[in-house]
Parts: sequence; structure tokens; C-alpha cells
Amino acid sequence: MDPVVVCESLTKRFGTVTAVDDLSFALEPGTITGFLGPNGAGKTTTLRVLLGLAAPTRGRALIFGRPYDQLDEPARRVGAVLEATDFHPGRSGRDHLRTLGRAVAFPDARVDEVLALVDLTDAANRRVKGYSLGMRQRLGLAAALLGDPELLVLDEPANGLDPEGVRWLRDFLRAFSAKGRSVLVSSHVLAEVAQTVDQVIIISHGRLVVESSLEQLTARVGGSVRVRSPDLPGLAAALQRNDVATMLTNDHALLALRTTSERVGDIAFAAGVRVHELIAESSSLEEVFLNLTAEPPS
Amino acid sequence: MPQIQAELLKIRSTRTTVGLLLGMVGLVLLTVLLTGLVSSAATLTDKQNQVGLLGDGSLAGVFAALAGILLITSEYRFGTIRPTFLFTPRRGRVITAKVVAGLLAGLAFGILGEGLGFGIGYVILSGRGIPITLDGGDITLLLVGALVGVALWGAIGVGLGAILQNQIAAVITLLAWGFVAENLLFVFVPAVGRFGPVHAGNAMVGDTTRHLLAPAAGAATLIAWTAVLCGVGLALTARRDVN
Repeated sequence: MDPVVVCESLTKRFGTVTAVDDLSFALEPGTITGFLGPNGAGKTTTLRVLLGLAAPTRGRALIFGRPYDQLDEPARRVGAVLEATDFHPGRSGRDHLRTLGRAVAFPDARVDEVLALVDLTDAANRRVKGYSLGMRQRLGLAAALLGDPELLVLDEPANGLDPEGVRWLRDFLRAFSAKGRSVLVSSHVLAEVAQTVDQVIIISHGRLVVESSLEQLTARVGGSVRVRSPDLPGLAAALQRNDVATMLTNDHALLALRTTSERVGDIAFAAGVRVHELIAESSSLEEVFLNLTAEPPS
Repeated sequence: MPQIQAELLKIRSTRTTVGLLLGMVGLVLLTVLLTGLVSSAATLTDKQNQVGLLGDGSLAGVFAALAGILLITSEYRFGTIRPTFLFTPRRGRVITAKVVAGLLAGLAFGILGEGLGFGIGYVILSGRGIPITLDGGDITLLLVGALVGVALWGAIGVGLGAILQNQIAAVITLLAWGFVAENLLFVFVPAVGRFGPVHAGNAMVGDTTRHLLAPAAGAATLIAWTAVLCGVGLALTARRDVN
């Protein structure tokens, strides 16, 4: 199946600041992907370029194979929430949705459906200035759902939500993707989305650090071995012959997953591959995340 | 075009528009009543002054322009520009719809403002027994010119707002230019000042103040201002990133 979202060597500069730096990744359909990185890593900028709000400096970002602004009916294919505060405070929640729906000729009945979907029916005719943060988050989500899209893009949707709200969101996203639809959800806290996502894309300083399944990332917690070698392909091949899964890191090291440093050392010795570094790693998921994103990639 | 309906709904769905309408009605009433009741009968018999009194509804242009400014700048101020562009990523369509909505809103402001101004001015003149010295052609020019002028100001507001994006900057620019800068320009360099949008609009209603353009030239000038501001606003909006 064709990827839902593709970034190809995406670069975005603001003056001398490079917010997104040669970023490439692809999103498979039917998955929930966590788009992770510390604040300022370039997540929001990437999403803005992806959604046609900002122009890339170099490279391109495609949704369903096209730049966003060239999709035929984008609201029917992609639903996005970038800020939880994008409302006119003096307009009712229902009218907010009606103004958006009308622009693409959706009936008002659809507005009432999505209001019910996010539990806002009772507050629909109140002005947004009286809404709590949780209600605003849900109203933003309602707007994204108006066109019954195949892909949801959410920027930091859990920000400011209470635990109950986070749980509601998690259940919602799971139900959404259970129908074969895709979600791209950004966060600066891995733990926030770890229970929800299948895939992770981790960026730091605008660059890709890791693109993998959550399973692979979690495997690091279960004990992995970091190994450097002048012959990485040879080492990877030797490990794989011995049924040890491997993963390349962005700093040209190899992670041997779910194994021990003894085993990796023995395999390398038997294969005659020189090893320059051999470190057993075992850390929590959050530590992995922090380690991956703390240092600027060299 | 559904985008135009969406923009008209945006105008109708906040109380801001009601506030602007009330402000306009208040200002038009105040001006017509003051001019009509305080000026001497001799003054008001003068044709030029009758144009002034019966055309006081043109003040609606200020409010139409404010409505136009708010139609776009409040989207940037409150962030609704993001969902707006997500639903309609072809930004030219959004701006075009806003310009049309600005014209229509301006027309509504114009009908209400000029209807009030003309109606009350007329009642005052007949009540005081002052003869109407304007002929049918003058009155037609006055009414049509005022309506078209106020409608164009609605679109000018959208264009100015699209260029500046910042609500306060746009409102200050409008008021400072319309009430101060252009008047100074007209007083000191009338050959240039008469091409300003406010004075072009005055010329449109048949105001015969010295140095003003002829009505048709005034209309063409105000239309040109509208086209240039909206065109620049559209081009900039299409090119600029949205934060």
C-alpha cells in the first residue's frame, strides 16, 4: 500500500535558523504514528509544511501522494488540529464548525453529528470563551472530523489535558484507527503516547533520529547492545545470520536488539569483524527517548 | 461559491458585527441630526450642503471597512486562519470569498446607513420647510454613489487586513489615513490628495468641493484602490507562511 504521508529531504529554514533539516520519513496506512521530539525539535514546523500552511525551503511533503494544497477535497481526506486555541471566542462551538463546514458544502447535520461524537452537544450553542481547555481540544477534534477523514494529524493534543482527557483521547484514537485509518500525533513526551502508537518517528534539532515500530524501540529497554565497527554492514549481516535483530542508529552505530554484549562479541569475533565499541544498554523507554534526543546529532 | 457563504456566516455569527452596526447607526444619527438641526436654513438651501447632509450615510464606509478588516485580521488574531486554510488550502479562494463578503457586508452597511441618513435628512429639510435644491439626477448620483462607495470600503478593509494581518495595525492605519493623513494631503497637495480613496469616495456622491474629481473619475479611482489593495493582499496571503 502507498504510504499516507511522505516527507522527502524536507528542509525548512527561517532566516538563519534551520527548523527542519533534510527530514525523510513515510507513514504506513492504518497505523498510529507518534511524531516525537523535545520542544523546538521542528515537529510543528514539519506538520505545518505537511498541511500546506508553510512552504518548504527544500524537499517536499506529500499526503496521499500529493502536496496538501493539491488534494481535491482535503477536508474529506485529512483532519488536522494544530492549536487547541484556534477559535473566535465570541462564536459558539456550533457556529465555528458551521463556518468551516459551509466552506466545503458540508450539511449542518454533519456538524451536529461530530458535536455528539466529541460530547459537546450540550455546550454547542455556548460561546467558546466559556469552554474549558478540554472542551476546546474536543471542539478542535470535532472540526478535524467534519469530513470523516482517512488521516488525522494532531499536534500535541494531550497538552493541558487532565488524565481523564488523556484517556478519552487515547480511546478515541484507537477506535479511529481500528477502522483502518491513520493517525499522526505529535508529542514531546513519549510516555504520553506510548500506550497509543504503533510507530514512532523521533526527531531532534530538525533531524530524523529514529523511525521504527514502537516494538523495536521497546526492545531497547529489554536489553540491547550498542556496537560500533568500521564494517557495519558486515557486522549487521553476521548478527542477522545468528538471528539477532539489528537497527542502525543515526550516529553510525548498530543496535543489536534483545541480546547480550557477550553474544554480540562472540558473533563479531567468529565473523572476523572488528569492533570499536560494545556497550550493553538497558534503560526505560523514556530514557531511550531522552538519550536519543538530548544531543545534537553529529 | 460555498466559501462566500462561509464568510458571510463568519460575519453573522459573532456580536462584533452587531456592535459595528450599532456604532454606525449612532454616528450617522448624530451627524445627520447635528448638521440638520444646527445649520441655518440658508446654509441648508445650498446644493453642496444638501449633498453633505443627505450623504452623511457615507460614514457607514468607515464601519464597512472595519468589518472588512475584522473579517480577515480576527482570523489571524484568534488562529482560525489555520482551520480556514486547512479546509480551503487554495488561499486565493478564501481571500476572494472574503472580498466578495466584504462587498456584500459593505452594501448592507451602506443601505442601512444611507437609508437612515437620507431619510432623516429629508424629513428634517421638509420639516423645516427648506426646499430640496437637488434634482432627481443629483439624488440618484448621491444614493448610488454612497452605496457603491460604502460597499467598496468593505472590500478595501479586507485588502488592507490581508496585507497587514495585524488587527490593531490595520485599524490604526485605516483611521489614521482616512481621518488625518489623506485630509492633510488634500489640503496641502490637492492635485494628489483628490486621488486618495476618501476623496475619491466623496467625489462619487456628487460632492463639488473644489479640486475633487468628477463623480465617474472618483468611482474609477476608488475601484482602482480596491482592486490594488485586494490584489496585493491576495498575492501576499498566497505567498506567506501561516504560523
